[in-house]
Amino acid sequence: MVAAAAARLRARLLRARLRTRLRARLARRRSGLALAVAALLALVLLGPLLAPHDPYAANILGRLAPPSLAYPLGTDAMGRCMLSRLLYGAQLTTLSALAVVLASAGLGTLLGAVSGYFGGIGDRLLMRLCEGVSVLPALAVALVIAGVLGLGLQAVILALAAVHWTEYARLVRNAVMIERSKTYVLAAEALGVPRLSVIRRHLLPNILTPLLALGSYSMSWVILSFAGLSFLGLGVEPGAPEWGRMIAESRNHLRDHPRLVLVPGLTIMAFVILVNLLGDALGDRLRAGRTNYLTTRS
Amino acid sequence: MARQLVLRLFSAALLLLAISIAGFALLRLMPGNFAEVLLMSQMDGTLPDAAALARFSAENGFDAPLPQQYLVWLGNVLTGDFGRSMVSGTPVADELALRVAASLKLAVAALLLALAIALPVGAVCAAFPGSLLDRGLAAFAVLGMSIPNFWYALLLALLFSLALGWLPSTGYGTPAHLVLPTLAIATSVCGILARYVRGCLLEELAQPYMRTARAKGLSSTRALLTHAAPNVLPAVLTLTGLQFARIFDGLIIVETLFGWPGIGRMMVEALLARDYPMIQASFLVVACGYVLVNLAVDYAIALYDPRTREVV
Repeated sequence: MVAAAAARLRARLLRARLRTRLRARLARRRSGLALAVAALLALVLLGPLLAPHDPYAANILGRLAPPSLAYPLGTDAMGRCMLSRLLYGAQLTTLSALAVVLASAGLGTLLGAVSGYFGGIGDRLLMRLCEGVSVLPALAVALVIAGVLGLGLQAVILALAAVHWTEYARLVRNAVMIERSKTYVLAAEALGVPRLSVIRRHLLPNILTPLLALGSYSMSWVILSFAGLSFLGLGVEPGAPEWGRMIAESRNHLRDHPRLVLVPGLTIMAFVILVNLLGDALGDRLRAGRTNYLTTRS
Repeated sequence: MARQLVLRLFSAALLLLAISIAGFALLRLMPGNFAEVLLMSQMDGTLPDAAALARFSAENGFDAPLPQQYLVWLGNVLTGDFGRSMVSGTPVADELALRVAASLKLAVAALLLALAIALPVGAVCAAFPGSLLDRGLAAFAVLGMSIPNFWYALLLALLFSLALGWLPSTGYGTPAHLVLPTLAIATSVCGILARYVRGCLLEELAQPYMRTARAKGLSSTRALLTHAAPNVLPAVLTLTGLQFARIFDGLIIVETLFGWPGIGRMMVEALLARDYPMIQASFLVVACGYVLVNLAVDYAIALYDPRTREVV
């Protein structure tokens, strides 16, 4: 009886240990994956160095050429090198998306932290505003804002940030609401640390991880929206090596040269999947043992 | 409960007010003097001199204080006067009515199709987690999150219209014209919806009342349909309301691509032509539409589910 129970317990312990080891190995593999994906993205950022041709150089005699050694992905309707344009586009897209994420995270964090810490009527108004913005069709609102601001690249970046910051404000506000009653914050307040310093030096460092996770998750939405707005004719100027714009300008060749539309689209998709994988890997590592502020209600 | 509903109504009204101020500010914040831009468009692009500009401003009330201008403008909008298009010169309201009707047709068709796919697929996946269909759905949902919707719509046009020749790729009027745009929008939201239905149902299936239902002799299908499904309806309805916004984002792209004369395409055309009254009107209509749709969804849920009446 006792021996049987001991054997069962041993078996269970063994299984538990195996499971722990398996999980550790999985975690290692995931961080390996994150490293690989990050390396790939870095490569993408160095794209212009790898591009075989000038992405703007038109060669009318060699237009619509099929893939060859000189032009690995062929040329477009203006005779420009598709591969070079895609590589330059990667940099343009990544930098623009980063600008959107940084701007919205900055504004959202500032407002969310202050609102969550001080509470009151301002907090309620901000949350109502965030709710209201999140209900609206984001792309449509961004479209209108960008159009009124002047259709340029900066206008598009500002417009996307203007519809996107509320997600950060909500996350940071909820996180601050939960953290502010913890003992380290109370201790800092009892010691007489000024309130803004409490936010900056004690609260913000402690909510940095969920913030980073949200940032990496929201990158894919920003990239897709940016490409969509470019496709509609906003943001970059005509002829710029931007993926969405490349697809828009090749639309008339869809029947005879579907390659011109297929390749940039596949590039966007592959890029977004890579960014999502990176976000997942990052999120898994950051989430371990942390409060999930995205789902915790206050 | 009445108090909660009134509060909800109040916050919706506040939001509508904020939207109207944003819509008004849209034209005042744009680069350049609004009166000058407006007058220029009426004078075929020649720059008006200072005297003409001052007279024009006085005639149209552009020299009044901004709050007063806002109230006058709001009065006009509430009585259906959105001004005239700067490009065609026709009243914006007339055009708006046609466009909204066309867009609603497309949006409702897409929503119905998405639900018709998502509800059964989600239910089957919840009943058989880990099955081939379930794994397929997971992959489909991930793919749906990563695919640019304008490119996806182009692929549909390439396949069904250019390669197979089954359907017209652009135009409006016959039911055949409705198929491709509807398909493009519906398939871009049904993955998420189906995954959500599946998740909600799985949660309900683990509840004790489901075991009771099975123990008293109901088949698993019947238990799922008559006991679990009614309980997930409010959550699914909420997400459906939120997905309506995604559908509109899809509308902008799809209408432009397939030449559908809806409000999404009107927005893009107005933006590229700098037709500010049109931009303003479409923004107002769309934003207010969404506030009202979400309010309606909240009320529908409160009517259906007594548990949520306290929190609405």
